[in-house]
Parts: sequence; C-alpha cells; structure tokens
Amino acid sequence: MIIETFFPREKLTNSDLEKLFPDWSGAKIEEKVGIKERHIAEESETALDLAIKASNQALRNFDKTRIDFVLLCTQSPDYLLPTSACILQDKLGLRTNIGALDFNLGCSGFIYGLALAKSLIKTELATNVLLVTSETYSKHLHPDDRSNRSIFGDAAAATIVSSTDIENILEFDLGTDGQGMDNLIIMNGGMRNKLDPSETNWVDESGNARSNNHLFMNGPEIFNFTIEKVPLVVENVLKKNNTTLNEIDYVIFHQANKYILNYLRMKMQIPKEKFYINMVSTGNTVSSTIPIALKDCRDQNLIKEGDRVLIVGFGVGYSWGGTILRIA
Amino acid sequence: MGGDNTENCISYKTMIMKNNDFFRELKEALEFEDVEFTEKTEFRKIDGYDSLHVMMIIAFVDSRFGKRLTARQLFNITDVRSLMELIGLENFEE
Repeated sequence: MIIETFFPREKLTNSDLEKLFPDWSGAKIEEKVGIKERHIAEESETALDLAIKASNQALRNFDKTRIDFVLLCTQSPDYLLPTSACILQDKLGLRTNIGALDFNLGCSGFIYGLALAKSLIKTELATNVLLVTSETYSKHLHPDDRSNRSIFGDAAAATIVSSTDIENILEFDLGTDGQGMDNLIIMNGGMRNKLDPSETNWVDESGNARSNNHLFMNGPEIFNFTIEKVPLVVENVLKKNNTTLNEIDYVIFHQANKYILNYLRMKMQIPKEKFYINMVSTGNTVSSTIPIALKDCRDQNLIKEGDRVLIVGFGVGYSWGGTILRIA
Repeated sequence: MGGDNTENCISYKTMIMKNNDFFRELKEALEFEDVEFTEKTEFRKIDGYDSLHVMMIIAFVDSRFGKRLTARQLFNITDVRSLMELIGLENFEE
C-alpha cells in the first residue's frame, strides 16, 4: 500500500493565533490539544488541488495506467457538481475506462475508503484503487472561531490500494448514528438552508464567533460520542478478527486532539508506547489523519513489516469505523 | 496490551466520595492551580474556564463515577454544588 501526503505551504502557528486573539494561550493549546501549527490552504487552493498534489506524489513510482478506480473523500468539493473525483481523473491523466466517485465523510473517511477499496477489489470491479482523502476545513471556519481554528489543519493523502494489499486489510467494524448530526455541522450552504449573507453571528460561552454559514462543533458532545463509541468499535474489530489488544502491535486513532486521545488511551488501558499521538505540526486534518500517521509511523520505523496495526476513525455524522492492517 | 506499563489507567470508583476529596480531585482534573474549589465555586467565574474544561468535567465524571453527562446538562450547571447534584448527591458525604 503506497501512501503519500501533501500539506499546503501556508502555516498558521500558535503565535499567529495569539496575535489575533490576545487572551488566547498558545502554550495552553499546545499542552492540552497537542497542536503547535497547522497548514492552511491559500484562498485559491482547494481540496482538489491538494488531492492532485498528493496523488501525483503517490503515482511517482506507480504506473498510472494501472489505476482503475478513484475514491475521493472530501467535504470541501470544488463544485456541487461534477464530483471532484471526475476532475481528479482528468487532472491526473488517468484512463477514462475507470470508475471515480466522491464520498462525503469526515474523520471516519479513510476507514470507509479502505472498506470500499477492499470491496471493489474483492468483487473484481477494480485492481488498483487510488483512495484520496483531502480536506480544507479552514475554509469552513469563522475567522473569529479561535477554538476550531486552533484544531483543524488542511491536508491531503493519497493511498494506492492494490489487489495484493487486501489480504493485509483485515475485517472492519463500521457504524453510523445520524442523531449526532447537530453536533458537527455546517448548517447553511446545502439545499436545506441556502448560504445567507445576512446571517447573524453570535459568540458562544467560550468567546468563539459562530454563524450558520460556518462549521459548528459541539466539542463536549463530540467527546461524549467518542468515549462511548470508540471503545465499542475497538472491541468489535478485535472480535471480528479473533484477536486481542495484546496481539496488536500499534494503535492509530483519528488524531482528533491530544486530550481526547489520551483519555481514550487511558480508558482502554493501551500502553503509551504503542499508541500514536502526533498532530503537533499538522493539527486535526480530518479524513487524512490516519494515512498521515501511517506514513509517519513507517518513516519513523514505529511500525515494521508483519506488525498488526489497529486503526479507528470517528467523527461527523456521526460516523465511525475501524479495522486492522497487517504491515507488508 | 494493557497491564503494568499502562500509565494512569482509569478505574471506576463507585464508593462514596468525601466532599473535600471531590473538590481536590476536581481542581486537579481541571488544572486550575490557583482556584480553591468549594460547593459555591461558580465555574463561569473562573478565569479561563471554557469548552475544554467542560470536556475535562465529562472525562472526570466518566472516570470517577462511571456516569456520562451531556454537554446540555453541563451548560446548565452554575456552581460545584449543581455539578454534584447532577452526579447524584448520594455519591457524596461530608
């Protein structure tokens, strides 16, 4: 499985945020949330642009004529239609007799993408799937929403899943609960509620500006969702693969923020040295945190051939899922 | 996994907690070194109290009492006493 990543050049550091919000502490955010800086796409740079760059990286050493399906996970499409995956096919110069589609998921997106890629290959609809996760949440945030601006970063990851990889992608556990829709939402801009330039802003009790045209996240309720669902998905994935946490070599959860991850780790009694937490220079990059982490772990030799790595994604929807990868 | 090398493993304690222990542990959980917690301490009057602290209260109550509090419930609390009422006064003693 080839994984490559791309980050926009522009960075938003904690010092930058301190200048914008004088009563905001960068040191506190770094300590609690585990983020020092995040990459931010330029005004004219879209998730599709990031997807093209990450994909070109992944295709450097892979014959692009062998790609026969494109899956693009994004919640920041260039257009309402056509789907970004079709444009990506053209921009990458891929064959035209292949499938391509976008799917709209957030932090669970990479897990769902792997599940879809594995299914496409198993059913012989594809042999080499280009799975791209690309997000520019920065464009959805209110400029005065310091909480979310301190958490989210922009990035893309391109993963090539081939028929030889799928025996190393073990059983999945997936879940959905749309009752959580209100806790992470951009209310306006779809067909239900059109974007409203006259939309009023308000300030929440933590001093963050909000509006229905921008991303709203109920952090405490999202935290409740994660502490309820993540232990369950871990238990289910282990059961479906007839294994135990003891037999897992490394654990990578969606990099939501350091506080949430540490709490989940302690709650599930996962040893620190087998648990990945690193978003200090990227922030929470939504659907790309897991492939970014996998690449980082391989580059740093934190995981090696033969290791069994438990990966779990969870977020907007609510949507969640997990599986085990055997590192080849 | 699990076992001896797990740091700060969470274990639910269902025994009744003394009020003063609760105030001390709450202070530690919220990491407000300069604030003395009593029943009358009002969360929103604490300098720097924000949504991250709401999350910390959720984690503290989940880990110490095995009880899940919603963001809406926590939005309505005022002082430490109102948090104790949410957790259930039967869990506390003088």
